[in-house]
Amino acid sequence: MMRRWTVTLLAAFVALVTIAPLLWMVSVSFMAPGEAARFPPPLLPENATLENYRQLFGTYGALRFLANSLLVSTLATTLALLFTVPAGYAFAKLRFRGRDATFRLLVAALVVPAQIGMLPLFLELKAMGLVNSYAGALVPWLAGIFGIFLVRQYCLSIPDEMLEAARIDGAGEGAILRRIVLPVLTPIIVTLALFVFLSSWNDFMWPLIILADQRLYTLPVALAALSREHVQDNELMMAGAVVTTLPVLILFLALQRFYLNGLLAGSVKG
Amino acid sequence: MADLSIAAACKRFGETEVLRDVSIEVADGEFAVIVGPSGCGKSTLLRAVAGLEHLTSGRIRIGARDVTALPPSQRGIAMVFQSYALYPHLTAYENMAFGLRIAKAGRAEIDAAVRRAAAILSIESLLDRKPAALSGGQRQRVAIGRAIVRQPQLFLFDEPLSNLDADLRGRMRHEFAALHRTLGTTTLYVTHDQIEAMTLADRIVVLRDGRIEQAGAPRDLYARPDTLFVAQFLGTPQMTALPATMAEDGRARLAGGHAVALPPLAAPPPPGAAVTLGIRPEDVAIGATANALPFTIAFAERLGGLATLHLEGPGGVLTCQIRDDGSLNEGDAVPVTLPPARLHLFDAAGKRLRSVDE
Ligand SMILES: Nc1ncnc2c1ncn2[C@@H]1O[C@H](COP(=O)(O)OP(=O)(O)OP(=O)(O)O)[C@@H](O)[C@H]1O
Ligand SMILES: [Mg+2]
Repeated sequence: MMRRWTVTLLAAFVALVTIAPLLWMVSVSFMAPGEAARFPPPLLPENATLENYRQLFGTYGALRFLANSLLVSTLATTLALLFTVPAGYAFAKLRFRGRDATFRLLVAALVVPAQIGMLPLFLELKAMGLVNSYAGALVPWLAGIFGIFLVRQYCLSIPDEMLEAARIDGAGEGAILRRIVLPVLTPIIVTLALFVFLSSWNDFMWPLIILADQRLYTLPVALAALSREHVQDNELMMAGAVVTTLPVLILFLALQRFYLNGLLAGSVKG
Repeated sequence: MADLSIAAACKRFGETEVLRDVSIEVADGEFAVIVGPSGCGKSTLLRAVAGLEHLTSGRIRIGARDVTALPPSQRGIAMVFQSYALYPHLTAYENMAFGLRIAKAGRAEIDAAVRRAAAILSIESLLDRKPAALSGGQRQRVAIGRAIVRQPQLFLFDEPLSNLDADLRGRMRHEFAALHRTLGTTTLYVTHDQIEAMTLADRIVVLRDGRIEQAGAPRDLYARPDTLFVAQFLGTPQMTALPATMAEDGRARLAGGHAVALPPLAAPPPPGAAVTLGIRPEDVAIGATANALPFTIAFAERLGGLATLHLEGPGGVLTCQIRDDGSLNEGDAVPVTLPPARLHLFDAAGKRLRSVDE
C-alpha cells in the first residue's frame, strides 16, 4: 500500500514538472504584450486577451503555415508508411537474394547522423530540380531506416506458420500482407505513424534548408522567421508555440489506445 | 478423395540431408502416421507434401495429379500446425472462413461450410471469439475446423496434440479417430508420441534420421519389428534389450554366463556372434522353472492395477509388467523365464533375425 502511494506521488510529481512549462506557455499566450517579462513572472494573465492569436492569424497569416505543416506532415507520414511497412515485412519474412546483406548495410547507415547527409542530399535534390518544393521537403521521410528496422523487428515475431497457413488457404503474397500482416501490425503502424508525424511536424532544419519561398514555409520555419523580427514579443511567440504544439498533442492523445497493445495474442500456443 | 504417393523423396538443407530416399504409399481413406524421434525429418516430410518445402529430388502424387511443382493452395490439402497458427485478429468464424473468402465463395456457401465444420467439432458457441479468448483445446478445434472447411483430399497434421495436457490429449485422440471415421479423408499425421501412432494409425511409418526404418500396420510393427530401433520405439514400457553371444548349442549366452533358449531361427548366426535379445515387459514370465534366471527387484513402479518392475540379474536390467497383488517388493528375488516364442532377436547391427515360422 505504502509503495503504491509512493509510486503514484512520484509519477504525479514528474507529470507536474513535465506539464508545468506547457501550461505556462498556454497562460502566457493570453497575456498582454510585455506582461510575461515582468519580475517575478506572473502565473496567470491579469486580463486574458486573444490579441496575440488575432495578430498571429490576422497580421502574420499563420493559418497558411498551419495548413502547410499539416500537408507536409500528413504526406510524409503516408509516404513513409507506404514504403517502410512493406520493406520491413520483406526484410523479416520474404526470402530473396542479398536480403541480410542489404539489411546490415541499412542498419550500419543508421549510425551516420542525419546532419551529415543534408548537404549531399541538398546538392542531389538541386540537380533534380526539387529545391524549394514540397517534393524536396518530403524526400528524407520516404524510407526511414529506423522505420524499416522497427517494422522488421516486429514482423520477426509473426510466426511463419501463420503465413504458411494463409498460403495454404490460397492467399497470395499481396493478400497475406493486406489481410493478415497489416491487421496484426496495427499497433506498430500507429506508433510509427505518430513518430513520423511528430518528427516531420517538429522538423526545422530540413524545411529551412530546402524551402526558400516564404509561402511554402512550415510552422516551425515561419515562427522562427517571425521571432527574428519580434525577439521581445514573448506573448506572441507563445501563441505561436501553442498553435504548433496543440495539434500533435491532440493526435497523440487520440491515438493513445492504439499503440503497443498485445498484438499477437492467441495466434499460437501459449 | 485421393491416395497419396511419395516416391524417393530427398531433401537437403545445404549440406545436411534431412530426407533420404523416402517412399510412402497411403491408400485412399487411410490414416497414416509418421512417427520418429525429434529431428528425424517428420515435419520436413509433411511440409514437402504440403508444398511449403521443395524436395531436392523425388515426386509427390495426390490422387491422379503429380503435385510436386504445385503451390500449396492447389494441392487439395489442408494442414493443421503444431502451433495452430490461427489468425489472431479474426474470430473463430472468420479464421475458418478465410480460405473460402480468398476463393471468393458466396456468403451462403461460406456460412454453410463453417457451421457444418463447427457442428462436427462442437464449437458452435465459440464462433464469435478471437483466438486469444479460447483455451488451448478450443484453439486446436478451430484449427481443425479451418482444415475441414477446405474439404481437402488430404489432411496433414503436424503434432497437433503436443501442446495439450495429458487428459485433453487423450480425449482429442478419440476425437481424431472419430473425425476420421466421419469424414473418411486420407490423412497423414505426424507425431513423436508412439501411443498416438499405435492408437490412431491404419499404417505407421517409422522415420529415423530421414530414412524409413519400417512401415506397416501397428500390430505388425509391434509384433515383428524389423530393427531394434523400431522394437524399442513402439510400446511402453520399452522392450528390454539384453546383450548376448551365440553359444555352440544354438542357445544364447547372457553376459552373466547364463544360457537362454532361442526360437528356431531361419538363419542362425555362427557361435560367438554378438546378438541382442529383446523381450516385451508383458511377455516376461515370473515363476520358478527348470532354467529360470535369478533376478532381483531393483525398483517397482506401482500404477494401481499394474506394476512395472525393474529387475537386475545376469546379463543386465530387465523391465517387466505384472498385475500387482502387492506380494512382490523391492529387494525380492524373482526367478524369471524368457519364453523362446516371445523373444525377439537382433544381430549386431540391430537387424531382426527371423525365426523359421515368420
Ligand atoms: N530450414 C532449415 N534449414 C536447415 N535445417 C533444417 C531446416 N528445417 C529443418 N532442418 C533440420 O532438419 C532436421 C529435421 O527437421 P524436422 O523439423 O523435419 O524434424 P522433426 O522430425 O519434425 O522434429 P520434431 O519432432 O522436433 O518436430 C533437423 O535436424 C533440422 O535441424
Ligand atoms: Mg516437427
